[in-house]
Amino acid sequence: MKKDIELRINGAPYRLSVEPGRTLLQVLREDLGLTGTKEGCASGECGACTVLLDGEPVRSCLILAVDARGQEIMTIEGVAENGKPHKIQQAFIDFGAIQCGFCTPGMILVAKALLEKAPQPGEEEIRKAISGNLCRCTGYVKIIKAIEAASQPWYFVSKKG
Amino acid sequence: MENFEYFEPKTVQEACTLLTQSENGKVLAGGASLVVLLKNKLIFPDRLINLKTIEGLNRIELNPQGELSIGALCRHRDIESSPVIQERFEILAEAASKISSPPIRNMGTIGGGICHADPSADFPPALIALEARLKVSGSKRSRTIPIHEFFTDYYETVLEPDEILTEILIPPLPSPSGGVYLKLDKTTNSVAILGIGAVISLDKKENCTFAGLGVGGAAPTPLAIKEVSSLAGKPVDIHSIEAVASAAVKQSHPISNVHASEDYRREMVGVLVKRALKQALERAGKKVTSS
Repeated sequence: MKKDIELRINGAPYRLSVEPGRTLLQVLREDLGLTGTKEGCASGECGACTVLLDGEPVRSCLILAVDARGQEIMTIEGVAENGKPHKIQQAFIDFGAIQCGFCTPGMILVAKALLEKAPQPGEEEIRKAISGNLCRCTGYVKIIKAIEAASQPWYFVSKKG
Repeated sequence: MENFEYFEPKTVQEACTLLTQSENGKVLAGGASLVVLLKNKLIFPDRLINLKTIEGLNRIELNPQGELSIGALCRHRDIESSPVIQERFEILAEAASKISSPPIRNMGTIGGGICHADPSADFPPALIALEARLKVSGSKRSRTIPIHEFFTDYYETVLEPDEILTEILIPPLPSPSGGVYLKLDKTTNSVAILGIGAVISLDKKENCTFAGLGVGGAAPTPLAIKEVSSLAGKPVDIHSIEAVASAAVKQSHPISNVHASEDYRREMVGVLVKRALKQALERAGKKVTSS
């Protein structure tokens, strides 16, 4: 039997009627058309479906949509600020940290949660933070470099110059 | 996965009653294990009962006697980052920090992890070493179960269909004590091939007053190695550690699977038990003597 719920996604409220067995990932992609969140392994191993729940990275493929009520959900669609890429997104572009792009939304969200907790993380901390996100193109070095750069206060200044 | 009724009880009693009225209802905590089972059609519950709407099941409290109480809905992340656990029960923070990946640790709960009863789970060996007790509520009665009596087989426990784990109780650890959780795995986030939890307490004369040892991944259930109690009452030396390690190897009856062979696991039980007991002793402030 369907259940009426309200989800807060990227700051906006969404009223939905969902079967309790549907995952947050299914609702995001299929009901709301927010296809930036990807389905990879669908069993919590790969990190492609990562979203932020109250600022913390979680697997949307293992969360029932009915269970995500009352929390602030952020997907990759909510990361840009005023129509401009977030500086982590800009750094991913500048450093070539995107190859096929399938892992990118998850990587960027994990990086965003990390930089909010630890504004200038060391390489070890970055590696730990992204350890649950697989990049099948194996472009990890550039991803780490991009996150490191985005954490530097000088990063945007030099971009503008 | 669509054909179940979904409930959000407000009390444990209500949740137990909902379970009693169902044929094969399941309770949902973090979902990290349960949703995988649902999606792979390994379970077909008629009801899903979400425990997260019950207040008060996610507290970490130290009572004046030094006993620690962990609510069943505490997430791995909460335990890994709890100052009181880091300071007094390092072994638990260590086990929590080694579970799967960071996003899973933001979801999965200690209670869910215990009740899922995966023989390779990271918490049970540490909890066995600490002689934890599990507080369980049912529709008619409540009871407390020592953790070493909780697991019965692969993914099976003594829980009755109407029972819910609510709290994990850890007895006080005297000072100085040392605890360690060692995990043998292939990569940082992978499942444990073996997980060893070891705790040693000493008195002022550096005699051992308590020793606990749990081994995961070496049998259908996590093992409590009783022979570890032979370390108590005297200083710990390498010979007594070796005797405990061989007892642990004898008690192991692992399977071969894609992660490791039966022989390798059994061999490594001996190696890792020795290492874990030595490290626990070091963390209690004493080096193991070779004589």
